[in-house]
Amino acid sequence: MKAWVLKGGATLLTLATTAASALYVTSHLKNSSAPLQPTVLTSAQLNAVTLTPGVQQSDVTPVTSTYAS
Amino acid sequence: MPRNPRLEAHHFEALGTNCSLFGVGISRDRLLEGELWVRRLGARLTRFSPDSELSRLNAAGGRWVAVSAETEELLRLSLRAFETSGGLVNVAVLPSMLAIGYTRTLSSGATPATLGRARRLPPLPSVLTVRRGGARLEPGSGIDLGGIAKGWMADRLRERLGLNALANLGGDLSAGGPGPAGDGWPVGLAGVTVMLHDHGAATSSVLRRRWAALHHVINPRTGLPAATGLDEVSVVARSGFDAEVIAKTALLVGPDVARSYCASNALAWRLEPTRGWEAA
Repeated sequence: MKAWVLKGGATLLTLATTAASALYVTSHLKNSSAPLQPTVLTSAQLNAVTLTPGVQQSDVTPVTSTYAS
Repeated sequence: MPRNPRLEAHHFEALGTNCSLFGVGISRDRLLEGELWVRRLGARLTRFSPDSELSRLNAAGGRWVAVSAETEELLRLSLRAFETSGGLVNVAVLPSMLAIGYTRTLSSGATPATLGRARRLPPLPSVLTVRRGGARLEPGSGIDLGGIAKGWMADRLRERLGLNALANLGGDLSAGGPGPAGDGWPVGLAGVTVMLHDHGAATSSVLRRRWAALHHVINPRTGLPAATGLDEVSVVARSGFDAEVIAKTALLVGPDVARSYCASNALAWRLEPTRGWEAA
């Protein structure tokens, strides 16, 4: 096989791969279902009380509170 | 909540703050004994009295000082808190407190600040050594036990009061047992009622003990009042001591890390960002 055929084939393969990759990434700029996306926090989100299963919330009147002193 | 006639409560002022003791099925005398215990131990641990154990340790100039079993335990736990908080909870904070003008009880008012004297805090294990019945502090260092003492005292007091009791020492509280109605102790945390069983809770804040542009929560990296993007953190944990350490650590690491830190260490929490703060 002549050398120019190999060179031309390699060049065409490279160009085709580059074009395909460019098409793919431009059409997949963001995957909205991707896992482990960091949450952007807001002040309101931070302000909320977060409970783990070990602590229950209630609507009864508290006997005392935690507070800064 | 069904009213339980066996619930006893006792409120008093000590440790420079308001204290409340609750117990189910215990006598009022027991709660009064609890108050006496708080006053006795508080007198040993305060830095505002020159005769206290803590003041003698701070003034010893590097000599070994005999300390009670309670003070020894608290100092050992302070060393542990330094390790578990990555150095953020550091009771060797007295020089910074003095530099910001917190030289006496704030009811007497702060004194003029000398911020130029504030220095990065030394690693606590490098200045504090504890042995059975004694402690030693490097010259030039000083300890202020602050909220750590209150959280630990709340835990010990709750144990002394009995199986179904709650001790709240200035917002650092410890609850044990099923509570007045059998479903836990109802405790307020940032406007929400949470039911505590064998838990502690604490709030660390830069909004109280504040004067001029200064407050008493010190950033150990600078020795100056902290400004991390959080104004207040309230936490529920396994004990009052743990809650105090976790709340202060979360306050000092700031909002970007505090949420994941609390998720790993606390049972419930609430973070109050500084006004105007938004996540990056």
